[in-house]
Amino acid sequence: MFYSAKFWGGLRGIINVMLVVYMLAPLVIIFVISFSSALYLTFPPPGLSLQWYEKMFSNPTWTRTLVTSLKIMVPAAIAATVLGTAAALALSRMESKWALAVRAVLMAPLVVPVIITAAAIFGVFRIWGLYGSLWGLILAHVILTLPYVLSTVSANLAVFDKRLEDAAANCGAPPWIAFRRVTLPLISPSVMSGMLFAMVISFDELVVSLFLSTPRVRPVTVQMWSNIKGDTDPTIAAIATVLFLFSLLALLADGIARRRSGREPGL
Amino acid sequence: MTAGNRTLWLLIPAVLLIGVCFLYPVSWLLQRSVSEPVWGLQNYITIFSKSIYLGVLWNTIAIAGATTILCALIGFPVAYSMVHARPWIRKLLIFVVLIPFWTSILVRSFAWLVILQRGGIINDILVGIGMIAEPLDIVYNRFGVLLGMVQVLLPFMVFPLYSVMARIDGSFFRAATNLGATPIRAFFRVYLPLCLPGLGTGAMLVFIIALGYFITPALLGGRGDTMIAQLIFERIDEFGDWPLASALAIVLLIGTGLLFAIIKGVSKLRRGRI
Amino acid sequence: MTERKTGAGFSRRTFLTTSLAAGVSAAALAAGTGRAMAAADLSGREMVFASWGGSYQAAQEAAYCNPFMEKSGAVVIQDGPMSGSKLRTMVEGGQPIWDVVDVTDTFLFANEELFEDLDFGIVDASALDQAYVHQKGIGCIVWSYNIAFNTDVVGKNTPQSWADVFDVEKFPGKRALRDRAYPMMEIALMADGVAPEDLYPLDIERAYRKLDTIKDHVIWYKSNSAAQQLFVDGEVGVGVLLNGRTFDVNKKGAPVDLTWNQNIRSIDYLVIPKGAPNAEVAQHFMNATVDADNQALMANTLAYAPVNPAAFDKVEADVVPWLATTPENAEKGFLIDAAYWRDNLGPLTERWNEWKLS
Repeated sequence: MFYSAKFWGGLRGIINVMLVVYMLAPLVIIFVISFSSALYLTFPPPGLSLQWYEKMFSNPTWTRTLVTSLKIMVPAAIAATVLGTAAALALSRMESKWALAVRAVLMAPLVVPVIITAAAIFGVFRIWGLYGSLWGLILAHVILTLPYVLSTVSANLAVFDKRLEDAAANCGAPPWIAFRRVTLPLISPSVMSGMLFAMVISFDELVVSLFLSTPRVRPVTVQMWSNIKGDTDPTIAAIATVLFLFSLLALLADGIARRRSGREPGL
Repeated sequence: MTAGNRTLWLLIPAVLLIGVCFLYPVSWLLQRSVSEPVWGLQNYITIFSKSIYLGVLWNTIAIAGATTILCALIGFPVAYSMVHARPWIRKLLIFVVLIPFWTSILVRSFAWLVILQRGGIINDILVGIGMIAEPLDIVYNRFGVLLGMVQVLLPFMVFPLYSVMARIDGSFFRAATNLGATPIRAFFRVYLPLCLPGLGTGAMLVFIIALGYFITPALLGGRGDTMIAQLIFERIDEFGDWPLASALAIVLLIGTGLLFAIIKGVSKLRRGRI
Repeated sequence: MTERKTGAGFSRRTFLTTSLAAGVSAAALAAGTGRAMAAADLSGREMVFASWGGSYQAAQEAAYCNPFMEKSGAVVIQDGPMSGSKLRTMVEGGQPIWDVVDVTDTFLFANEELFEDLDFGIVDASALDQAYVHQKGIGCIVWSYNIAFNTDVVGKNTPQSWADVFDVEKFPGKRALRDRAYPMMEIALMADGVAPEDLYPLDIERAYRKLDTIKDHVIWYKSNSAAQQLFVDGEVGVGVLLNGRTFDVNKKGAPVDLTWNQNIRSIDYLVIPKGAPNAEVAQHFMNATVDADNQALMANTLAYAPVNPAAFDKVEADVVPWLATTPENAEKGFLIDAAYWRDNLGPLTERWNEWKLS
């Protein structure tokens, strides 16, 4: 029986189920609790209601911090996308040791533990007067998200046939037109997914925000953090669900963008 | 090179930004760690001589190590199962393992808190069905930290393993057993060695990332589970103790960098051999 | 809302979430009955108020912040939890983000240089008992550390002394204690049999010897709201909790009660950190906190005793037994020696952190 295919098949099945439970159960439970009618965290909930979502949208602290998160996320993601895509294009046309070194430097914020980045940026931004300002948080988030855009777009450019752009140039198209008509449409799915990545990372970011934010300029994750550490307010379940759905939507949008482009980028 | 020169200016904004707002701050941190209160290594000496800091360093290594081992123990069967699953199940499993990439650590740590605390779901159910009389302490301790961290870091173990296993010919078992080996022997003598490169990369990745972890241990850990990142945060946020916090950060940075260098070196060596 | 809170039988985390709704109605109440404050027009201005979080801060929001916002037009942003070292760090770093902070008397006395002088041209302290008026701050409440317990967990044999709280055979399981030298030194010494009048100067070695005996049986809490949660959930049977926090959960139906035996009384002050970005708004805010109606509202919400004598007449009868200043409660305990802590807070805190991590 130890050798039978049935035994191994069954074992694999059990492993699969346990994996799914381990990875998904916490999220499912948060999702369910966020619709609970009970006034405290309990499972299973005695009934369903939208009270925590109402609370989330009626409590000025939560709405203010949610808006702050958006105010940071949108400009940061756009800036990271523009800078990251530009850098990826430039790097794809360089074939020297320098290109490798520059790429390593630009990817560094992804590799260095976030706590170090956070402490370093906080220390310097305080001197520069950027501590507690929206600009400081946006700048920091650009630095954290740029590597994601760079690597996503670079991966696409690696499989992109550069002869297409050369052909356009040979036909007399100026570089900018060749780029806009040929290159950009071909890499746009990866630019899009890089930007979605940047948005999700920025919206979920906590550690750097924890250092750089003040009560007046505070993203929602920092507010959640201080609430989880103090009171266990069930409203957090609703906000957690919103954060999770936001990520899921981004993932979905990414999938759709790729499918519609008809080209699977090399990821 | 001509095409490269023409587009070089596209690099400037990104390099400038990372240089001014990332590289400079990190070097500023390094400078503070050796220049205050006076120039010298006194902050590093403090870290490596005081029992509080040594304890935290040890915690960090122990927790990262335990996380790595657990990730390997769980990741190995999971990756194997993924390789040998039907395509749609494989897709589902990949999606499930990738979930940590797409959901915030904060949200997931909060979820574990709801599930594990004494008045939480697991204890409610176990007490409810009479399996235990007293609620179990399964959070605010090492167990809670490891449960949370393994969940987050599992993909870093599973995917390197998966890519290695997918390339191993499935008929090896038959071949080995035909030659008279028991399946267990075949596994340890043939299959496991073939998987080692993936296991090594995965373990290194998990260990390195775990070293700098902050949110999960801070939310799910107890008194004895303080890790280096928490200590850095507390030193700065609570006490404004920049010299010491900087030194701690640099210790973490050097540790991380060394491990990365080792991975790089090992993988280069391997490529050279094959 | 307040009535519903008193009568309803729901427990657990409810108390943390209802406080906000209570705040809204309390603000309306205060706006209707409060005496006209010096109505400086501060519309468009902001300030940050930092306190100890949870139901205490929610009550302060209702009793001080909301009436002040109503009258002045300024916006008060809540922050916290308050941390002494964090406050010191931000003032010494020259960039405080808090404008008004709730601190204990010991912290104020030990760190007077960290705070702005009050402008008594704006803050009208004439009606107060002058014992609570300081150049740098105004006493806002009198509170006490009490032996608290969950009646579902401990049953009929409730703890009667700190010695009981330290008795792991009598009360197995975890106990909730404050993660801070102050007042754990006093508590440990009383548990070891020292009488309150013989406490000072504290015998630190003896206190740690006593603490060593229960080190593994304790959940150390940093925030009082976290402590409430521990008691309400039954995570702990016994421990130390503030009288107001106990009143809060008890009133909301949780099986949590306290004894006044060996209680440790203290005073909280509101202060303005030196260099606060909105110090002027903060001075006006201070003036709003001394108002008798606002103070009575605070007492009725959370059983913390007022410092404005005129406020006592407005405290509800069923709240009086919960006040730390009520004579039969006061005589069972003592006032913590703020002067001793002023002189020793630094080294004792360092020692505490070292002990905790070892």
